[in-house]
Amino acid sequence: MLKVFGFVKRNPRLTHDDYRAGHVGYHNSFGRRLNNIRGYLLNVASNTPVTASLGTDLVMRLTRNEPEDFDTQWDGWGQLMFDTLEDYLAARTPARDYPGLNGLQMDPMVGKVGDDFNELYAGSPFQFHVDETISQPVVRPERKLFKLVQFGQRPADMPLALFRAYWTGRYAQLARTLPGLRGLVINFRTPLDVMTHFFAPDSEGFTPDGVKRREHFYAQWDGMAEYWFDCAGDFAHARNSSAFALLDELEKTLFDRVFYREVDETVAVLPKRDPAPEFYHR
Amino acid sequence: MFKVFAFLKRNTHLLSHDEYRAGHVGYHCGQSRRLKNIRGYLVNVWSNTPIEERLGKQWHDALSIHPPNDFINWWDGFPEVFFDHREDWVTATTLEPTRATADGLVIDPDWSLSDGPQLFNPVADRPGEFQPCHLRMHEHVIRPVLRAEQKTFKLMQFFKLKQPEAEPNVSAAAQQLLSDYAPIISRWHNCNGAILNFRDSNREAAMDDFYKPDSWGHSPEGLAHRAAFCDYFDGAIEYHFHTPTAFLATRAADQARLRALEEAHFSSCWYVEVDENLVVMPNRNPAPNFYFR
Repeated sequence: MLKVFGFVKRNPRLTHDDYRAGHVGYHNSFGRRLNNIRGYLLNVASNTPVTASLGTDLVMRLTRNEPEDFDTQWDGWGQLMFDTLEDYLAARTPARDYPGLNGLQMDPMVGKVGDDFNELYAGSPFQFHVDETISQPVVRPERKLFKLVQFGQRPADMPLALFRAYWTGRYAQLARTLPGLRGLVINFRTPLDVMTHFFAPDSEGFTPDGVKRREHFYAQWDGMAEYWFDCAGDFAHARNSSAFALLDELEKTLFDRVFYREVDETVAVLPKRDPAPEFYHR
Repeated sequence: MFKVFAFLKRNTHLLSHDEYRAGHVGYHCGQSRRLKNIRGYLVNVWSNTPIEERLGKQWHDALSIHPPNDFINWWDGFPEVFFDHREDWVTATTLEPTRATADGLVIDPDWSLSDGPQLFNPVADRPGEFQPCHLRMHEHVIRPVLRAEQKTFKLMQFFKLKQPEAEPNVSAAAQQLLSDYAPIISRWHNCNGAILNFRDSNREAAMDDFYKPDSWGHSPEGLAHRAAFCDYFDGAIEYHFHTPTAFLATRAADQARLRALEEAHFSSCWYVEVDENLVVMPNRNPAPNFYFR
């Protein structure tokens, strides 16, 4: 699948919780209608610091070289899934899903995703493609899960191919056995351009300042792992047990930088990895 | 939770079944997913593949008891909505700020459910109205639903109890079903979810205070329509499997016992495959103290 992440910073007119409501409410209501979309998740930075969820001692033990300005750069990120790049680029067109007086009609607001970018965000999203490895397929129960994201950066002298092989290899093979784990997906940012033709040419993201802002963010990590648990205690208990001490050892050589964030996940479109049916389905 | 099944027939003058899918799951749900305090929202649309074809005639006949011929003529889809309390349900259309604008977060002035008469079966002499059939359901989670990242194979097993009860949600027949039938289903390890729902004996339980007293749903025609539809069934079981084959293989192992119980408990039962659209993941945990879907 084509999987695209878009990290966004809220418009300063909004509080973080205002931003949640605007993104989860109005904006997602259009985003979920994008033509041929196969999955759409929104992750909003939790109001609870990860030190409070997992415990300060554990977080300090697991964290290394965390960037000081990381949290000032984003409030949430959307995850869009399409079958192909062509579907993704064509998604921002009117959708024929409005029941009008003459039957089903086009709604141009879908192609504009509600036309609220300038009011919801501060600048363009940091929009990038990721190459994912599914270490443990996600299975969601009918309740809000504890979703934890591990941001990692490789040592300067480690080739990206090895970094990826090591993270998704022995490390993930052990991590996927963490008790209570509901899913583990490891994502690596790629250089594929998913901004051109998706955002207007005059978007902030294409200005020198916009490029600089985005590149600064990208310089702080190479990959990110999504973990789903029933509760924070599942992760904390496991990582404090001797059974998973090897993860600590592996992290010493795998990561030059590693840090964690809790996010609140909205499933705007449940990702479907099987072939699409021949009718409108979300 | 306060759970409602809302059976809705499309506007056949304007929409095909597949166009109805797009209109309901697309535009309409883009509005209704913002209902205040909604805790879960699924839209089930009957499958384009006939159930006899999906299960095979032999299995279809072996699983059914006096199936009605016209049941899916009454509806094209039914949303399932979940709220914490009845009060949340009847005040769900209260608008709240969800739109970012130059003035900050505001109530969306374009929010509207006015597409209803174009999407659903309209009422000839009542412009702006459609024919709702919203029923309160009392659920019993036999196996908690687990959703993988793929389209689920979802079956609805509608049933009518042999002894119509005044209050099926607490009736002896219902209790019997929970005590002998449900435990068999609960052991189906290949089943990704099974929920037994009894229709509230009060057919107006989800209509009162949600629709205006002078609306079609409360008119003699609306009451008669709902009564006739409710006469088909007292409850329904939702089953989630990865594939039809998984369902049939699982069912086959218990067919004799389940069939005997069905013949003992049901005057009729039948299956409808539905395509489930997840609009708001049901969240059975307490609601967080921020806007969440």
